[in-house]
Amino acid sequence: MLRRRLNLLGRAICDMLATLDPEADRIVLHASRHGDGERTLEMLYGLNEGEPLSPARFGLSVHNATAGVYSIASGNRRSQQAIAASGGEWAALIAEASGYLADGQPSLLLVFSDQPVPQRFAAYAPASLSAAVALRVGSQPTEGARRLVEAATPAGGTTLQPLDVIDWLMGSHQRIACPISRRGWQLESLRS
Amino acid sequence: MTTTALEHELKQMIIETLELEDVTPDDIDPEEPLFVEGLGLDSIDALELGLALQKRYGITLESEAESSRQHFANLKSLAALVESRRQK
Repeated sequence: MLRRRLNLLGRAICDMLATLDPEADRIVLHASRHGDGERTLEMLYGLNEGEPLSPARFGLSVHNATAGVYSIASGNRRSQQAIAASGGEWAALIAEASGYLADGQPSLLLVFSDQPVPQRFAAYAPASLSAAVALRVGSQPTEGARRLVEAATPAGGTTLQPLDVIDWLMGSHQRIACPISRRGWQLESLRS
Repeated sequence: MTTTALEHELKQMIIETLELEDVTPDDIDPEEPLFVEGLGLDSIDALELGLALQKRYGITLESEAESSRQHFANLKSLAALVESRRQK
């Protein structure tokens, strides 16, 4: 019933999280640079016209809306974090995840998603396509898992977006880098 | 039992306002609870419905919880509310 409140991307995220964690018992970290800008902007247009605010739309205009709906719908009561990092989302996501793992969490869920910036603001940000990727990370090697190795990289280059991460996970290139954070990553086989 | 024209109108309004994608007017039993059980709506839906009633019928609900609870109990009680309080 709650899915109806989410857009396509939000539903895709809920589906991925349900697949990665059927017990719905893991911490969720969700990074998105822009979130659902379209919905927030529509609300502001409405306010400007003196129209009353839609409570459902208002409730979903916050950055943690998707994670919140997921938590209610799935019954997952673990901690959640919604991250925006001005283009450094992937690096921030990995940094947060490393913190939780170092703190003793055996396994957690990461989501990186974005949507196009509303037309009105499109000139001020790099174009972003609607895409989401979800991963399960852990501190212990498991069947089929790969090791994430981080290294410093020079600044410069384009902003890392969810589609870049998907391409990298699918093996199109060996490394990805988040120039604004000066960090790069590659995946290594666990079989030594 | 026949569904009145107003009840049908309210069913359409509920489905459209709350974006109940998989629900048809026939799925809403006028005497079944709208909230939690029955249709399974929640508190955000109640606020959204309150806003829709205000926009379409000019009905402003008092914030007193008990009377709102009665008005929103099921489609029949909602139709009775609209019938008695509508401004447009």
